[in-house]
Amino acid sequence: MPDDTATITTTGTDDDLGEVTITRDFDFPREMLFAAFFDPEQLTHFWGPPGISTPVDKITIDARPGGVFATTMVDDASGAEYPNEGVFVEIVEPERFSWKEPSGMVTSSTLTDLGGGRTRLVIHQTNVPAMYRSAEALEGFNASLTRMAEYLATRPS
Amino acid sequence: MTDDQLSTTFAALADPTRRAILTRLAEGEATVNELAEPFPVSLQAISKHLKVLERAGLITRGRDAQWRPCRLEAAPLETASSWIDTQRQVWNHRLDQLDQHLKSLARTSKET
Repeated sequence: MPDDTATITTTGTDDDLGEVTITRDFDFPREMLFAAFFDPEQLTHFWGPPGISTPVDKITIDARPGGVFATTMVDDASGAEYPNEGVFVEIVEPERFSWKEPSGMVTSSTLTDLGGGRTRLVIHQTNVPAMYRSAEALEGFNASLTRMAEYLATRPS
Repeated sequence: MTDDQLSTTFAALADPTRRAILTRLAEGEATVNELAEPFPVSLQAISKHLKVLERAGLITRGRDAQWRPCRLEAAPLETASSWIDTQRQVWNHRLDQLDQHLKSLARTSKET
């Protein structure tokens, strides 16, 4: 059973770079994990969030630095399409790979061999755009949000 | 909400004075004078901040030219604060599904 206690670390303020780190251990060798990310036939099985599909014919993986990594997520209910396109920055099989999106955000994946056929996968997002980073500054603002909601509830419409 | 709108919202929230104004408005409507009181800046500066907040849809202002009370609008803030949570959910779900996918691959290869 893989370690389900994925940890998310978010750091950063208005003034520095926001980062998101997600760590997960798998009971599979890293070659298998690495291959899954570079094979559209496999990616289609795990890429989409709940209620969203990533059709295999809308996945482009040009596995070389500078190559395109494009997916289109399709909302199962409405059919709305959400295309995403990035460019591979680095690919070192089977240790690590990263891609960069037009916003400047870089998503790096590092695969560490834990021995015994186990692998630790660390997803690290850096250069999170200001519009996303500010969400973290908002965390300290949540108390105000709660008060705001209470206020809005009592306000005559 | 589109990314553009979201980015307008976040740009508006990037300033500590504007966040303080929103916090004050969470307690109820207020006039420009009332909002300006705690800050060592001019009324004009506060008015400028209010215009930014208004453009971002974070506040609305009354029609009365004399008074024009400001009030907080909830929707853009709620969308903004959920992005990191959404990101967390997407990746955790993705890695859950990856694990399931690899398990089914392993089963298939044992059977054949």
